[in-house]
Amino acid sequence: MARMKFLCDSERCIECNGCVTACKNEHEVPWGVNRRRVVTLDDGVPGEKSISVACMHCTDAPCAAVCPVDCFYTTDDGIVLHDKDLCIGCGYCFYACPFGAPQYPQKEAFGVRGKMDKCTFCAGGPGADNSEAERTKYGKNRIAEGKLPLCAEMCSTKALLAGDGDQVADIYRERVMKRSGRPQTWGWDKAYQEDV
Amino acid sequence: MKASRSILAACAASLVVLAGCHEPVSVTVYEPGVYKGAADPLLKMHASAEHKETLKERFATGQADR
Repeated sequence: MARMKFLCDSERCIECNGCVTACKNEHEVPWGVNRRRVVTLDDGVPGEKSISVACMHCTDAPCAAVCPVDCFYTTDDGIVLHDKDLCIGCGYCFYACPFGAPQYPQKEAFGVRGKMDKCTFCAGGPGADNSEAERTKYGKNRIAEGKLPLCAEMCSTKALLAGDGDQVADIYRERVMKRSGRPQTWGWDKAYQEDV
Repeated sequence: MKASRSILAACAASLVVLAGCHEPVSVTVYEPGVYKGAADPLLKMHASAEHKETLKERFATGQADR
């Protein structure tokens, strides 16, 4: 069974933030909420690497595991979505997520959290597809229109890939073969240094 | 007579005011691991082989390396 996945090729990402802009524009994400961010390691140093990060739609999603009201559900293809009407804005998912994907709009006084907002893989949420209510709460539902996430579709260097995990893996494998090796930006050397 | 009218009027007014305080209560009872939110029609569409094939074609045309 296919699973929808994101993959960002750090050798290709040029930190243009086009994916961030595309996401915000497509879904009209409010100020203060970024469903996608570009993270740069060793910024300003020769050899710096960037990756674009959003919800990774985990197979065994920790956000769903800790949610006290079980507002998360997963599609047949592994897209993790949530119901904002059930969300109580407790913030547990934010602490559980290793990617910092869940975001909370601050519309009220005293730092009261609003309903959690996160990347939907452009698949909207509960309710009729591309209805006004769905668009307001979750943004556009491109998957229902037979399209893939806009962040990846408009990536100028094709660093960000989004689609069937098998297809994504095939493309990345071919690239690594051509480069004769994978970058160690997030690999063994980075994690354990040379003396291990 | 006049007093009873004013009492009736006050009762009617209080009924109208109290009706504004009414809130429909529909509590979602929590059960571990069970999603009880609204249904998503995308789930059915997303499970179909035809839709999966559409997305695969979209990926191949838009995101594959040249």
